[in-house]
Amino acid sequence: MSERIRNHMDVLGLCALLAVVLVTYQRLDPTLLSPSTITILSAQFLPLILAAVAQTIVMLTGGVDLSLGPVLSLGMAVFVVTAADGATGVLAAMALALAVTVAAGAANGALVAYAGLPPIIVTLAASFLWTGVTLIVLPQPGGHVPAGLVSAYNLGWYGIALPALAVVVALALWKLVRTTRFGLALYAVGGNEHGAYASGIDTRRVKILAYGFAGLFTGLAGIGLAIQTGSGDPNIGAPYTLNSIAVAVLGGISFFGGVGRMRATLLGALLLGLLTNLLLFTGISTFYQLILQGVVLVVAVAVKTLATRERTA
Amino acid sequence: MLEDDVAKLKTEGKVASYETFNANGDTSQQIAQIRAMMQQKYDVILVDAGSSTALNPVLEQAVAAGIVVVNFDSLVTTAKVVRVGTDQVAWGRMMAQWLADKLGGKGEIIAMNGPAGVSVSEDRWKGADEVFKKYPDIKIVANVHSEYNLAPAAQAFASAYSAHPTIDGVFSQGGALSAAALQTLVKQNKTLVPITGENYNGFLKMWAEKKAAGFSSIATAQPNYLAVIALEAAVAKVGGVAVPQDITVPLPEITDANLDQFVKADQPDDSYPIQPLPQNEIDKLIGK
Repeated sequence: MSERIRNHMDVLGLCALLAVVLVTYQRLDPTLLSPSTITILSAQFLPLILAAVAQTIVMLTGGVDLSLGPVLSLGMAVFVVTAADGATGVLAAMALALAVTVAAGAANGALVAYAGLPPIIVTLAASFLWTGVTLIVLPQPGGHVPAGLVSAYNLGWYGIALPALAVVVALALWKLVRTTRFGLALYAVGGNEHGAYASGIDTRRVKILAYGFAGLFTGLAGIGLAIQTGSGDPNIGAPYTLNSIAVAVLGGISFFGGVGRMRATLLGALLLGLLTNLLLFTGISTFYQLILQGVVLVVAVAVKTLATRERTA
Repeated sequence: MLEDDVAKLKTEGKVASYETFNANGDTSQQIAQIRAMMQQKYDVILVDAGSSTALNPVLEQAVAAGIVVVNFDSLVTTAKVVRVGTDQVAWGRMMAQWLADKLGGKGEIIAMNGPAGVSVSEDRWKGADEVFKKYPDIKIVANVHSEYNLAPAAQAFASAYSAHPTIDGVFSQGGALSAAALQTLVKQNKTLVPITGENYNGFLKMWAEKKAAGFSSIATAQPNYLAVIALEAAVAKVGGVAVPQDITVPLPEITDANLDQFVKADQPDDSYPIQPLPQNEIDKLIGK
């Protein structure tokens, strides 16, 4: 039993922290649990959550994705330049944008798996490449997202918070993927690549699939951001690279691969997002907010490391 | 400059409290900040936009919630907020025309633009490009993109210049870019060809110093009193004045002749000295 509790300590700790933040938030903004606020907040957090999911998948393989922000911008750019009015037009644009980001992700994966290059180098190079490509697709902020979609997404659609629904569907999708052979192999490859290979797992295929899935979630984040802002901006994705890593780390995903849970990443994203918003309410200077964010990250990682050390002792 | 005006309006009883938020170049963060301001029911939001399009929905919602929103400096594309800015296309046109005249419509130039994908940079270049198209003998041998910062601009210019050392002039659309170009020419002891500029003090100082050596330039400014005009416009609008939706502030013109009035030898390089706009000019712009 105590072993079980210890295994869930990360998640429980994050839940406790999140509860504290939520209660404080509720006091400052009593509308927190109203449908409109949930819609607004979920629209705001969706890109970060999905980007963090993508980053988590890559980190589970033992890699890191520095091209996440640029690929997010790329997905956004492809979506806004191709989106036409009407359901078919939007869905076609989404499919095209996702195809592009999945291909971008899988290309990273192939270089890591077959050329044996370090993920940090591959994705660094990819970040330059896709930044350039994005600027060709969308040279300056603009593009088109159907206005009806923008308002339904941001203001609620028959009282349904579409962004929250999108996050739930995306996470359910991941849950499903996790139960497949690939899902199990992902943790095995990240935890011990040679062991996984020796036990008959096609480690290369697993890596390419993992980076491809990361591309998928990154693309979804970009589409979400496009619908939230009603347009595309070729430079908007950049901060998501480091923010997604911060969230994954906060969620206890190990940099060495194979360790961490997606639900912890989700909690990490909510925590970081709500905390930032909370600090806005307090009106303290943004400079102190950055300092506090840094402190929260270091403390979270330190606590996690100490807890793990205890476990191995 | 804005702080002084806030203090003035506070003593007049027109502003009760005032907070500053900084999004550090993160547009998603800026959207979150504006949401928080809406929930805290501020009466007025002044915003220097991080993206020309991404803030449109949130700003339109703020306006719908009854908040007076005034956007200044980097402008958004929605017409529902009051926008206080300068004409960036005219900026590019003014610089390019001066350079074309200076070169007698003939010569090789390097163009120094801002970061790719940023509206301000694209707009200024659009204006410049219109002018250069009229002069087929002006050849743009390199079109360089750089951050509006001295160090990256100096590197970008140095590599373009080493490939084309025989240029006759430089079109630059930002002060740090101009300073980088001029600095490179001075360091390498080369002919000081005309370089267009901005009221970046580091550039103005160098210009003043090298004017005797025959260096000539023109500069304009994204005047920092845009924020003051934005604040005055917002306060006037809350007070019932029919403030125009689009306030285009004329671009100042700094030339070899009036440079002395602008350059501030005792101020740091990264300041942007400008002559304050008289109150009656501000009142005229905001429709008082």
